[in-house]
Amino acid sequence: MAAVAVHQFAECITCHAWSPDQSMVAFCPNNSEVHIYKLFGEKWEKMHVLSKHDQIVCGIDWSLKSNKLVTVSHDRNSYVWSQEGTEWVPTLVILRLNRAALCVQWSPKENKFAVGSGAKSICICYYEQENNWWVSKLIRKKHESSVTNVAWHPDNILLATTSTDGKCRVFSTYIKGVDSKESESSSSDLKFGEQIAQLDLSVTWAFGVRWSPSGSILAYAGHNSMIHFIDDVKSNPSAQSIPLRDLPLRDLLFLSDRVVVGVGFDCNPMIFTADDTGLWSFTKFLDQRKAAPSSSRGSQLSEAFGKLYGTSKQVPSNDTVEPSKPRGGAHENCITCIVPLWKRGNTTLCRFSTSGLDGKVVIWELDIPK
Amino acid sequence: MVNFISIDDGRAVGQEVHDPHPHRNQLANPSNPCESIPFSLTPTSPLQSTSVPPSSRSPRLNWSEQIDTGSSIYSHVLLSISKDSTMANTIRLYLTCIRNTLEAAMCLQNFPCQEVERHNKPEVELNTSPELIMNPVLICRNEAEKCLIETSINSIRISMKVKQADELENILAKKFLRFLSMRAEAFQVLRRKPVQGYDISFLITNYHCEEMHKHKLIDFIVQFMEDIDKEISELKLSVNTRGRLVATEFLKQFI
Repeated sequence: MAAVAVHQFAECITCHAWSPDQSMVAFCPNNSEVHIYKLFGEKWEKMHVLSKHDQIVCGIDWSLKSNKLVTVSHDRNSYVWSQEGTEWVPTLVILRLNRAALCVQWSPKENKFAVGSGAKSICICYYEQENNWWVSKLIRKKHESSVTNVAWHPDNILLATTSTDGKCRVFSTYIKGVDSKESESSSSDLKFGEQIAQLDLSVTWAFGVRWSPSGSILAYAGHNSMIHFIDDVKSNPSAQSIPLRDLPLRDLLFLSDRVVVGVGFDCNPMIFTADDTGLWSFTKFLDQRKAAPSSSRGSQLSEAFGKLYGTSKQVPSNDTVEPSKPRGGAHENCITCIVPLWKRGNTTLCRFSTSGLDGKVVIWELDIPK
Repeated sequence: MVNFISIDDGRAVGQEVHDPHPHRNQLANPSNPCESIPFSLTPTSPLQSTSVPPSSRSPRLNWSEQIDTGSSIYSHVLLSISKDSTMANTIRLYLTCIRNTLEAAMCLQNFPCQEVERHNKPEVELNTSPELIMNPVLICRNEAEKCLIETSINSIRISMKVKQADELENILAKKFLRFLSMRAEAFQVLRRKPVQGYDISFLITNYHCEEMHKHKLIDFIVQFMEDIDKEISELKLSVNTRGRLVATEFLKQFI
């Protein structure tokens, strides 16, 4: 129930993604390139550097079945990379955006991907076989501010988005010719760009939206240190909001329908579980921290500081403002990205990796009951 | 209507920063209230919106009276000095409050500009998208010393007004802080010009948080505030000493 592996790849990592066999990791070291590293035994070696973008690459997703990499960047472009032999060949995606792209995710069937952007719109891109390129359809005028995160529902049609206007919206992204018509969904829902729901639970910016594996629960984090869980979005939504003790979350991951991991500015993953009645609560921090120094050591520190700055100690030493102690733990800076690591044959997820602004990719393993 | 926060729990201040609405509901897990905090405006429980007559010193308070959810509703925190505690005690509380607010407010991330394509600007300076800027928090130690913390999604601006008791301190503070501000490049987080109404300003962006540790940045700011006071007192002392020496020497010839 802790960090299995810690790898320091760069000074700062924006986002990362794993290959289908989990032997390679692709990440952006806070510049316009994407580095792909492969694990050879115990050592990581840089295999490829994908440099087509002009500005920082803010979203990477690696499709598990078709082994394609999609990258989006602040320069309004997106590329789909496919591996041909030893080289990665980029295919430009015409996004038709006039502001930066902020996030990307492949759909569960991997025939589409969604891009959220600062142009207050979402692009749903699909592959057109006749012209051999990726075409985008935009959902415009539904968001009031930048779209920060997107999440696909397991049915490949519904898309949930979070935005800096604080709202979480669910859209239908049915595209004729790409998606097959499901008999159970009503025809009105099948229109592309139709807004199914708008959730106003957060008063500040919303990040990290995810659907549960069954698709029945939606969760997202608000910047006011809250996490919101919504059950049954389509017909009868019921919401739960849990305030957090410390700093806000940036990203979430559903390990099962009952367990959620949240990562954020605390530099420590948090576990939330739902009990049998469906009531969510905070369970624990994942990282074991080193014990905080005792108060006697603290007063020694403050005395030393006093001497350093030449103050005459009139005040008692325990009154001095102590300098903040380093937190300890696997991550030293904000964790920005959490990616699942599915084990072959396993239906429940118990491994995931996090990357943060400290340049580390940490793999965590958790044993979930049942 | 001005929102009042009492600082039982440093996190209380933090949560206020993130919430643009004037009425907050429950605090999350308030733990370990500090004992014997010598401040409160009203004897009632904290987090009640009390109507405090706007201070004439900060004209922006009048403007924020119109309750517009999303922009600037000042959260006014006053530390009243109780008779029991010493003068030195309040600076610790003031700095602890600032430290806790900064820990909550300095949650920055890379955010490309919504107005101009391919640009990345500190939103707190740009000030065009109200949804990206949080409520400013004003922490006052007394009428002369205060600290304004304005946060946005990718940047935070901290403005300070240092204590200036008399004319001499006024001149010394102005000259000293101007000296520092002109060398803002070396400090990286310093702003070249202080915000209107304040003596010195810091601008911290997400790039600084990526390069440097957040707790070290906060340590720097708090230490800076402590040192400024000491520096100015020292300067004043040395000016007075020098004046006395010069006067003594000069007047010796008339003895």
